[in-house]
Amino acid sequence: MKPSSTATGTIIGLTLVFLIGPFIVIILAALTAGNNLAFPPDGLSLKWFIKVFTVESFRISFLISMFLAVFGTLTALIVGVPAAYAIARYDIPGAGAIQLAVSSPLIVPGIIVGLALLRYLVIPTGFTIMAALFLAHAALILPYAVRVVTSSLQNLRVDVEEAALILGCSRLGSFFRVVFPNIRGGILAAFILGFVTSFNQVPVSLFLSGPGVRTLPIDMLAYMETTYDPSVAALACLLAIMSVGIVFLAERFLGFSRYV
Amino acid sequence: MKTGRYAAAAAIGALCAAPAMAADKTLTISVYAFAQDEFKELVYDPFEEICDCELVVETGNSVERMSKIEANKENPVIDMAVMSVHDALALSRKGLLQKIDTSKLSNYGDLFDIAKDPLGNGEAVGYTVYATSIVYRADKVDIQSWADLLDPELAGYVSLPDITTNQGPGTLWMIGKAIGDDDLSLEAPMKLVGEKADDIATFYLRSSQLAQLVQQEEVWAAPVGRFAWSRFRDNGLDMKWAEPEEGQFGDMNVMIMPTGIPAENAELALQFMDFWLSHDIQLALAEALIDSPVNDTVEVSAEAAEGLTVGADLIDSLVFMDPGVILDNRDAWLETWNSTVVR
Amino acid sequence: MFENKNTGLLLVLPAAVFASVLFLLPVGILLSEAFTGSEGGFSLGAYVEFFSSELNNTVFWRSLRLGLWVMLTSAVIGYAAAFSIVQLSPKSRGRVFALIILPLMISPVARTYAWLVILGRTGLVNQVIVGLGLSEEGLQLLFTETAVFIGLLQLFLPLMIIALISSMENMPRDVVPAARVLGANWFSVFFRVILPLTREGLVVGGTLVFAGSMTAYITPAILGGSKVLMLETLLYQRVTVANDYAAASVIAMILVVMSIVTNLLLKRLAKPRNRRA
Repeated sequence: MKPSSTATGTIIGLTLVFLIGPFIVIILAALTAGNNLAFPPDGLSLKWFIKVFTVESFRISFLISMFLAVFGTLTALIVGVPAAYAIARYDIPGAGAIQLAVSSPLIVPGIIVGLALLRYLVIPTGFTIMAALFLAHAALILPYAVRVVTSSLQNLRVDVEEAALILGCSRLGSFFRVVFPNIRGGILAAFILGFVTSFNQVPVSLFLSGPGVRTLPIDMLAYMETTYDPSVAALACLLAIMSVGIVFLAERFLGFSRYV
Repeated sequence: MKTGRYAAAAAIGALCAAPAMAADKTLTISVYAFAQDEFKELVYDPFEEICDCELVVETGNSVERMSKIEANKENPVIDMAVMSVHDALALSRKGLLQKIDTSKLSNYGDLFDIAKDPLGNGEAVGYTVYATSIVYRADKVDIQSWADLLDPELAGYVSLPDITTNQGPGTLWMIGKAIGDDDLSLEAPMKLVGEKADDIATFYLRSSQLAQLVQQEEVWAAPVGRFAWSRFRDNGLDMKWAEPEEGQFGDMNVMIMPTGIPAENAELALQFMDFWLSHDIQLALAEALIDSPVNDTVEVSAEAAEGLTVGADLIDSLVFMDPGVILDNRDAWLETWNSTVVR
Repeated sequence: MFENKNTGLLLVLPAAVFASVLFLLPVGILLSEAFTGSEGGFSLGAYVEFFSSELNNTVFWRSLRLGLWVMLTSAVIGYAAAFSIVQLSPKSRGRVFALIILPLMISPVARTYAWLVILGRTGLVNQVIVGLGLSEEGLQLLFTETAVFIGLLQLFLPLMIIALISSMENMPRDVVPAARVLGANWFSVFFRVILPLTREGLVVGGTLVFAGSMTAYITPAILGGSKVLMLETLLYQRVTVANDYAAASVIAMILVVMSIVTNLLLKRLAKPRNRRA
């Protein structure tokens, strides 16, 4: 006795229209040949997609966001993988408190973190905005890195490692020869998740912007306020294609969703 | 594969650092977000060529950038900023501005008298004077008075400047004059605007944002500074600049230098100010219909004059609000505004 | 489990220090700022002052109200959608699931921007309204609470659906048909079978949606503007316009407490049933 498939089909259809529809609208609006963002588009052209590449501030902020996403995630992994390993394999005193500390970035809203870092790190110590952004992004990704890697470690049986130890591997050797190859997928998944999270991050970077230093989403917000041309829509499409492409490839070759 | 990824990452890192190292001298300026493409072409790029330095630009509205300079007073990042007279006065009262050595400004003698020392203590120099009036869609409404902004005909289609913007207090004052109460507490106009709050589409924070709302046909009428007029005039809609019975109000933007910046940056900042005040640049900005000149030697073409605030008669006719009054009342206004208008 | 605790501690230390120094310490100082009186010492003055302002109260209640509405609406739509998706064949289920999580990978700036085009005076919705003759001219939809509500719902609905799907997948396969065969109508099937068995998913989804909506910045900033301030846009305004860190600290505390309380409260609500199951 199942609910009718017409009913379920309609529900799914409407939900998807609500969730995906806006993107279709914005893709079409970005393809307009006119000078204003409008739907339906006023003729079709790729001119706004081309314009995106000529805006200097977009180029700079794109590189800044790229840098933050790549190195922030790598830093989070360098700090986070050992922690994940310890959480999965050792009986640590105070593990609860440590886990809470590591996952705190998930509970504290980003805007507060950005403001706190600006006020108590950048202003008093003369730390550069870029350094603060980098640390904030790394810390923000940390909980994801720890969580994803921990869960992939938990799926790996401990006796494989014990066998390696018995066969004469050192602890470190067994980690790199046995554990690491087995959790590589998890680490890569954590990297992708961290990259996408950092790249799209707005609140943390809101206060952490200075002359010449702006992440791409913040730059888009600023551009939107001054110009109502469709280039922001075009840029939004390009970024969406990039994010979706990365996740699609990851799913295809790694089975990304197993890890997240 | 792995090395490939690190190499790519390192390359991105290098690219990121590159702009900062391109020139050894850097001048960090803080300006309005308006017309930045034109400023880059007419002012920044030519100056970079002359000074052999790199300009780093921060944009935002006056009060936000003023707050940022105050927040960063221990480690100043901005070498030179432009803002409204009253925001400059706020910094001045807190002792955060340095005296501008006008002997280093070769164009200083050519400036209008009102631009020479707007704060009265040598800490600011005016670079543009502008009128503020109402832009409106002539095909939809007719505006003869500041009170027309609150006409039922415009309900839902009018935007007013937020109280914290440069145009905010002036707009309320003019509305007050129109309803016969020009008291500087602004209580009467705020009460009226508060009653009509539902009819106001939004309170805008930047005129650049407003240009967009009008283009989108979200807004038909709004008070705006003359510097933004060209953005409205050429948007393809039937736009008009109102000449209300109560008059237009005037405002000035000034250049300032925060205290605590290195001497070589101060030197560069003065050079940049002088460049901006020069005949050629003031003329170029005027002909592009961005900023009305304060340099007396500038003769604007008749066509450009249409879109600007030029001529002694026009400037004399403007109603100016005393920056000290604005500053002294600002906190009280904000409180009244929060309790009667935006609630 | 390995026994050597010191090695374990050593491994976890960098992460703990990193999070503490970069997060807990600065955030802690920021939160404590509002408890310090003008002459030092403990004081609740900043809180009293904050809540004595009508605007701040409005913003606080508006954020709470919108958060609850978005949470409730996404729960209703989420249950319908999740239940429908679970009925699909595994293959099409995977496809639909991919489409549901797709928006999560896209920048929230882009996601909110789309609504500007759709909800504007000359936007899609108003074209339909005018086209159907429901109104002579386009309605003002932008800069209203409705616009913010719609934007937030689209932003957070996927989280609710995902949470509900994963808990429905763990539901024993035959319970719904069994209840139906035994004569239960859909109403009681939902409240007596599905809801209890998916409570955990609802709690996880609800927490994410509520906390996310309460602490949103981009959506109220773009779709609400200065007339529909929410807690984060108010915080931003207080800091950028007035360097008012006391108010910022109070808002920060409200946001953090809200996040923690919803988390705990919903966990507690979820518990008794889970134990029995």
